[in-house]
Amino acid sequence: MANLLWLQGGACSGNTMSFLNAEEPSACDLVTDFGINVLWHPSLGMELGENLQKMMKALVSGEIPLDIFVFEGSVVNAPGGTGEWNRFAGRPMKDWVADLAKVSNFVVAIGDCATWGGIPATAPNPSDSVGLQFLKRAHGGALGAGYRSKAGLPVINVPGCPAHPDWITQIVVAVATGRAGDLSLDEFQRPKTFFTSFTQTGCTRNMHFAYKVSATEFGQRKGCLFYDLGCRGPMTHSPCNRILWNRQSSKTRAGMPCMGCTEPEFPFFDLAPGTVFKTQTVMGVPKDMPTGVDKTGYIKLTAAAKAASPAWAEEEIFVV
Amino acid sequence: MSAAVQTLDISPVGRVEGDLDVRVDIQDGVVVNAWTSAELFRGFEIILRDKDPQAGLVVTPRACGICGASHLTCAAWALDTAWKTTVPRNAILARNLGQIVESIQSLPRHHYGLFMIDYTNKNYSNSAYYEEAVKRWSPFTGTNYEIGVTISGRPVEIYALLGGQWPHSSYMVPGGVMCAPTLTDVTRAWSILEHFRRNWMEPIWLGCTLERYEEIRSYDDLMAWLDERPEHANSDLGLFWRMSLDIGLDKYGRGHDRYVSWGYLPHEDRYNKPTIESRNASLIMKSGVYNGTTDTHKLMDQSFTREDVGRAWYDEPGHLHPFERTTKAIQKNEVDHEGRYSWSVAVTHDQDGRLEAGPLSRQLIAGGRHGESWQHYDPLVLDIYKKLGGASVMLRHFARMHEGVKLYREAERILREFRLKDSWYEKPTEKDGRGWGRPRRFAGPCATGSRCRTARSRTIRSSRRRPGMSARARTMVPAARSRRP
Ligand code: SF4
Ligand code: SF4
Repeated sequence: MANLLWLQGGACSGNTMSFLNAEEPSACDLVTDFGINVLWHPSLGMELGENLQKMMKALVSGEIPLDIFVFEGSVVNAPGGTGEWNRFAGRPMKDWVADLAKVSNFVVAIGDCATWGGIPATAPNPSDSVGLQFLKRAHGGALGAGYRSKAGLPVINVPGCPAHPDWITQIVVAVATGRAGDLSLDEFQRPKTFFTSFTQTGCTRNMHFAYKVSATEFGQRKGCLFYDLGCRGPMTHSPCNRILWNRQSSKTRAGMPCMGCTEPEFPFFDLAPGTVFKTQTVMGVPKDMPTGVDKTGYIKLTAAAKAASPAWAEEEIFVV
Repeated sequence: MSAAVQTLDISPVGRVEGDLDVRVDIQDGVVVNAWTSAELFRGFEIILRDKDPQAGLVVTPRACGICGASHLTCAAWALDTAWKTTVPRNAILARNLGQIVESIQSLPRHHYGLFMIDYTNKNYSNSAYYEEAVKRWSPFTGTNYEIGVTISGRPVEIYALLGGQWPHSSYMVPGGVMCAPTLTDVTRAWSILEHFRRNWMEPIWLGCTLERYEEIRSYDDLMAWLDERPEHANSDLGLFWRMSLDIGLDKYGRGHDRYVSWGYLPHEDRYNKPTIESRNASLIMKSGVYNGTTDTHKLMDQSFTREDVGRAWYDEPGHLHPFERTTKAIQKNEVDHEGRYSWSVAVTHDQDGRLEAGPLSRQLIAGGRHGESWQHYDPLVLDIYKKLGGASVMLRHFARMHEGVKLYREAERILREFRLKDSWYEKPTEKDGRGWGRPRRFAGPCATGSRCRTARSRTIRSSRRRPGMSARARTMVPAARSRRP
């Protein structure tokens, strides 16, 4: 039996909603099949008020052991480092987070807000939000760069806006069933099993990428979204086209450019005018190249791809 | 002589995300006064300032991951009205479908995950229905809890077919949608709907076919339906109704009898050139204000909206139209129940004051004969409201669930109406402007009813408006607090 507590800071509940879409295993399976004891969850928990405050205190004192502390949402520091703009159970949430992190065997940050600060931390970051152990790419965050949970691990970061249900449940089950040793984390503390390949891996528009055939407007049944519509699929670490969303699709399959939501910079360019769903270019060449490709290589590749491009690539390919 | 007033502070009140606190004054076992404090500020309006106009499509859905499609719809329509776009009929249908499947998803999720679990509280152990309630509705392990929560993920698979994922896709854009579904998508969507109907709506929730349920048009019809067959009485709807009466939830949550709906679901042939002014007459589900005391309906117009920030932690004059808000957060947000105590503002009607919004309101307005002749009309909930003498926790939950069948039918209709070879997007010209859309808060706990255990409240509704919604994305919710008149 592993005790799990799930709290939300500067959150929208999107990760919770995503979690409830889980199928293998489902949210209920975690409890019935994998012996996870959900002590409390903001949307699903029974307790309220004093009863919950008592339980929280018992967790902090160690009277109730805390195996897995799941945090969703940013850690709010406003105003002036007090955290009073996000209070929970009678005190700033950031103080609960600090206390609970000390007694937890594992700490799992779910979603961009908890990992990097996410949308709330977008400039000018009115709530002075940070992630548990990062703010964007900067190591540190609410718990500090040196933080280790009782089991000796840093915060396990499961980013995404929201995180995919499988990423959530599989990591929770892994730590609850003693498989934390099998987890390898990348430099941003993301489980490598999910965050080594790119969004582009498995995208149905990959052929169009290869032949440099562009979807120039939304609602087209052909074309890659990289050249005009700002897709970040070639430089975003995520398995979105490998482990499909809601068992059906992915943004890029449906025709929506990947916004790179598993990377610390999301939302990119701080949503400045002219940057949303539009590829940023310098003299016709994309500013952000596919990971590992340099400008010269890209230009050569483009020329070759265009020359080799077959006629069918320009036709509608996802036909009615 | 009446008993002394006892004051109770409850922090947190769960089920609404965890950062909501409530203070209640109790006298003779009845809540006579209540204050709700939303304890989280992220400042989305501030984040959106000076950003790309389309940033609203990315940021506003994140105001709430429970009803993100509503916010996205709102942001898209707001940009459409600001940029004076043309929206292809396919795109209107595809946006409506996204919103509908998000709401249909929220029905079992809310019903089991957030609502029925309170019926298993031991305070109700005297009820004859208690044992059955525990068996069905206990969190995680209840038989129907597990079925319901698991199947709740299915309708949003349709959202994923349109937008790639749920929650948090931005597939609705000014000028239309990003997707162009194919025949296989439509067929899949259809089969997902059927699965949801055959495995939950009919056998578990209703205990009858949708067709039989749709014959219920009055309170008498509903009572006759309940007694007609054991399957009806023993369905989750039947048990919910019978147990609610038994434990008295028809007596709590009266409210103050005035209701609002902005209307929702633009008609695919009537809102292709959207403007703020033409919106009311273009909706399938009409807007309105219903006064239960005088039994009168009228149309709602956005120009009547006001936000009273006087009790909220903003340094702004009260009684502003949302267009005039500046979102100036106060630095020290001390809870002062005589002064300011919440990040939520009280949204009011310029002439009619505080109004209740949510599923009950939408259904009471659906029962009005105002609006256009072709707009949706449904007398059932209004009839029950009158027969039972007003609103209650029970009726609010019923109204929410009742909407599900209608939305299901509309989803079916949309799948038939898509013209797959026609366009889905018409590229707009970007310009400066002011727009308005309306997040129809179908989903989730934001508009939830009862806190039946702290109960005896005639006034508490967990009507939390998310602080940080886009300035153009405001909704009218019942006042998030209730004070002595
Ligand atoms: S649409 Fe995006 S993810 Fe797909 S191939 Fe093009 S760049 Fe890659
Ligand atoms: S496709 Fe891109 S933006 Fe969408 S969920 Fe995956 S990583 Fe995030």
